Amino acid sequence: MRIDARNLLDRLGKNEFAYKEFEDRFTELELWPILEALLRDPRLQAIDQAENAAAEPVASAPVETFAAAEPLSSLFSRYDRGPVATNELSSDRRGAQAQDVRAMLRHLSDLGSRGEI
Amino acid sequence: MAVIVCHGLKGGAGITFVAAHLAMALSEAGAEVTVLTVAKRDTMPLHFGLQPALTLPSLFAPAEDAVLAAGINLRSHLKATEDPDFVPTLLDMGYLDPGQDRVMVIDVPAHEFAFARRVIPHASANLCVLNAAPDTLALLPQVLGEASAENIARTTFAINALDETRRLSRHAAAFIRELVGPRLLGRVRLDESVPEAMAMLQPLARYAPSSAALADVRAIGEALVPALETPGRPWVARGSSGAAAASSRAA
Repeated sequence: MRIDARNLLDRLGKNEFAYKEFEDRFTELELWPILEALLRDPRLQAIDQAENAAAEPVASAPVETFAAAEPLSSLFSRYDRGPVATNELSSDRRGAQAQDVRAMLRHLSDLGSRGEI
Repeated sequence: MAVIVCHGLKGGAGITFVAAHLAMALSEAGAEVTVLTVAKRDTMPLHFGLQPALTLPSLFAPAEDAVLAAGINLRSHLKATEDPDFVPTLLDMGYLDPGQDRVMVIDVPAHEFAFARRVIPHASANLCVLNAAPDTLALLPQVLGEASAENIARTTFAINALDETRRLSRHAAAFIRELVGPRLLGRVRLDESVPEAMAMLQPLARYAPSSAALADVRAIGEALVPALETPGRPWVARGSSGAAAASSRAA
């Protein structure tokens, strides 16, 4: 660590520095195509399947995660329906949209705003 | 004795860095730790502040040849990846016997994934080191497709060298976190003090005791301590996600 950084941290009474100003705002961002491609890949379901196969008694409560709330497999099935324009959504489709990949990003955004990411 | 395998999807992820600091954390928790490197091109000594020219003694070398750093026994077995009897050898040497006071951390290079797959079923825990980067993420489906369900279920994860100032890095990290859930033990922030410590030939804890990366990797090591309580049985972080939560709070 450079001496000026060391001196600054000493003056702040901290031993490290995190860039809080770079917090995520997922709701304002587009999904990266690579993430979308990965979510379409059925091989990622192995994570869910392994989780089920290894189910063991858990002493502490599980951390709330989107993956835990909804298996990745259900995300893939929604992709099969093809893209749907937002302004053409029926009420049912709006319900489905609430569970799509972007819902995952909104969930991540919430986690970020709570400082859990 | 608990065996812990430290491996990764892609070279350059910092597997050796994490393995070294995992060993240090377990040693500080009171375990008698041996680090075993199976890499023919090895940088393990640098993470302990040792000279780069140092060649680690063989796993089978006598005690008088041992290299001890921070109370940790550093060993190598360069033919382990080609040795079909590696696991029986560990068994014969008592490394798989019950007992939580002795630990072996095996540093497996990313390209030796077949070796990792072979050892993981016998390990108490295994930690897969990832970078929050698109090329690493792109390998995930292939790796998950090749691995057995049992090995995947036993795998815990850590994100290394995370640059939280970069949007893509944050998003990739969030993706990994959502994908693996509580099995993500934590993340290690990108920190220039890590290469600087190596350049200074000093352990990170001495060169930069206030390093953010050091605090993060220590938290991951501490999260693995419960794995020592079930030597010989696979352990998976579930539920509390202690290190990840601690890291988030630190940020």
